[in-house]
Amino acid sequence: MVFSSISFLFFFLPLLLLVYFLSPKKSRNYILLLFSIFFYYMGDKRYVILLLGTCFINYILGILIEKHKSKFFLNIGLFLNIGLLFYYKYINFFLETFINIFNFNSVTLNIILPLGISFFTFQNLSYLIDVYRKDVKAQTNFFTYATYITLFPQLIAGPIVRYKDVVAQLNKRNETLKLFSSGVTRFIIGLAKKVLIADTIYHMYTNILAANMSALSYLLVAIGFTLQIYYDFSGYSDMAIGLGKMFGFSFKENFNYPLIASSITDFWRRWHMSLSSFFKDYVYIPLGGNRCSLKKNIRNIFIVWLLTGLWHGASWNFIIWGLYFFVFLLLEKFVLKRYLKKGIISHIYTFIIVLISFVIFSIEDIKSIGIFLKGLLGIATPLVNKESIYFLSNNFILILVALIGISPYLKDKLNILKKGTLKTVIDGIEVAYVFVIFILVIASIVSSSFNPFIYFRF
Amino acid sequence: MKEKVITIFFTIIIFGIALLGLIIKDQDISLVERRKLTSISTLKEDFSQNLDKYLTDQLPFRNQLLTLSNIFNRYILKNSEYKKVYLKDDYIFEKLYPLDEKSIYNFINKLNHIKATYLEKSNCFYAIIPDKSYFLDGYKYLTINYDALFNLLDKELEVDGINIRDLVTINDYYKTDIHLKQPSYFKIIDRISPYFGFSSRSINYQENVYDSFYGSSYYKVPFHTKEHLVYLTNEILTQAHVKHLEYNDNYVYKLEALSSSDAYNVFLSGPSGFIELENTMPNNDNELIIFRDSFASSLAPLLLPYYKKITLIDLRYISMDLVSKYVDFTDKDVLFLYSTLIVNNSYILK
Repeated sequence: MVFSSISFLFFFLPLLLLVYFLSPKKSRNYILLLFSIFFYYMGDKRYVILLLGTCFINYILGILIEKHKSKFFLNIGLFLNIGLLFYYKYINFFLETFINIFNFNSVTLNIILPLGISFFTFQNLSYLIDVYRKDVKAQTNFFTYATYITLFPQLIAGPIVRYKDVVAQLNKRNETLKLFSSGVTRFIIGLAKKVLIADTIYHMYTNILAANMSALSYLLVAIGFTLQIYYDFSGYSDMAIGLGKMFGFSFKENFNYPLIASSITDFWRRWHMSLSSFFKDYVYIPLGGNRCSLKKNIRNIFIVWLLTGLWHGASWNFIIWGLYFFVFLLLEKFVLKRYLKKGIISHIYTFIIVLISFVIFSIEDIKSIGIFLKGLLGIATPLVNKESIYFLSNNFILILVALIGISPYLKDKLNILKKGTLKTVIDGIEVAYVFVIFILVIASIVSSSFNPFIYFRF
Repeated sequence: MKEKVITIFFTIIIFGIALLGLIIKDQDISLVERRKLTSISTLKEDFSQNLDKYLTDQLPFRNQLLTLSNIFNRYILKNSEYKKVYLKDDYIFEKLYPLDEKSIYNFINKLNHIKATYLEKSNCFYAIIPDKSYFLDGYKYLTINYDALFNLLDKELEVDGINIRDLVTINDYYKTDIHLKQPSYFKIIDRISPYFGFSSRSINYQENVYDSFYGSSYYKVPFHTKEHLVYLTNEILTQAHVKHLEYNDNYVYKLEALSSSDAYNVFLSGPSGFIELENTMPNNDNELIIFRDSFASSLAPLLLPYYKKITLIDLRYISMDLVSKYVDFTDKDVLFLYSTLIVNNSYILK
């Protein structure tokens, strides 16, 4: 089940809201737990036991780590969690690489990736490490811990919510009208980002890729990759944060207008912040961070970006994607830093580097990445053809709206106006805007199931 | 205040639609989409897989929401193409893109094989009807390279061609349907008649107008208007015998189809693999065999006065092996009449 589905909007969510707000406060975590398990079941019924099993094991390990103040139990936890992630997500990739290197007969294990495993594994890991570091107390109530891990808004696509950030809210939280309506607004904005922009851009570039290509087509597709990934992922984070608010939770922000960053360093402070901070706190700093020799510092950065690439998927293009950022981060650290002030050139530089990164991110086959980049440069490809003109003119408004939305310019202007005498008017417009886009979102979701047949066959 | 309004509106929408969904009776079919809708019984088969399909198909105001989405994409986002359909000057165009060379070769090989295997002793020609996109500006709309398609057919087909594409204009087509209007076929008959050795004489027809025709593309564009469908009758057609291989129907014009969701089925009852049209008042013993798609359904009745019998073969629904058991091709006139829609998507031919 995904948030941008009719079954979520008109079955799961109203049912949950009804049961949740009619229940006494002390039973609300149980309600959330039950519904979250059902939510996961609807998305991936095969692995419900795995999800709950990992919750239970990590819950026990947390208690043991705290009780015995022992690194032994932490190591067991790290081994089990990373081992599980490795088995489900990476074993076929490593087997394939090994087989290719040594020219053995092909062997592939028939493993289906459990939904959200990268997210709930990282949450389990952060919990165990935080307990070991005594940053948090171990949770003694299994149901509360299971509620934290399975909490449906962040279960399958993040953000990576840390236990220490929500433990107080798990124990006691106030669901207020203000928080609820702010959550509704945020949820609808996230839905619109995903359904009206990301999905429409996805259709745009799949259509372009199916047509005769020119350099302009490749550019449109590269812009499409970038905008689609941004709006899809940040939209999902908005929905998660919004849903959290509806039920009284405050999750940390995950995106902060990353596509207007003035450097790659700045970009990674704004993009998928819960992941970057995870790697910073649990990998980079424990390895020594920058408080060590230059050689070790570079090694630490390398490891973090290798892992960042791998986290996104078990494929060489993701490893290259991570290492691509490693190279630019080093370049910025040692060479470009002094040139990258907040000028337009810095923004253009960053946008281009990010644009190319998402080409690498989106195309799994390494050879195809090369062909794509050649096409983008107009090598052995016409600069413009009638197809690219057609797609540009047909999608101009969509791209323009999407590009405007990557900057906080309009939001900032509105906030300034809100402080003046126009507050009531702006509030009214905002309410109308939210509901118009909500209706459009529902229409677009329904429309995606529009499946007409030329011949009427029952 | 703002918080209250947002909360109330949101609650009304999600609870209201959910409740309406419970109250309103499920629909079996969607006339707009021309398909069966998912029913609640599918939930017994696989609840988690089918719940979303079911709720989406049965959502209250589904058709209105589809229209809204169409308007948003077509008029707000200014996307001339929505759901693979263009709208220009009130005409709805089904998008045909990209050019599928493999499909064209598949079409050529199929026709060449039929010609070599069955039609050595037949008077055989082919003609291709361009689909409506042929008349669109290739820079403003995405269309196939029609010259490439026709050149390939001319070069590779071992059947002689009759060029009819210069005869038709966009006005010959329905606005809301892919097909040609029946009266537009007269000029095509004029063009093909010398090849088959008959002269297209003036035959009197009565013009019957059905003024509430909704073509197969009608629902893909919001706020489109219905149009006229003309079907031509005369004594020969009234007295003609029609025989389908798959089912019993004896209509040249099945009038009850006019009020159905596929009004074009008025012509020879719609899709059928094998139909024989017999002229009970013939003035010769000639027979014509047409390998065809749905376009020929409205042409064939107008050719009947020139023949004793016309056999219509639609290879989408019947295989050539089966056809050869029923038809003797010797000394018959044979016409391959297909639209570019089929040529570029010939894998559906058996």
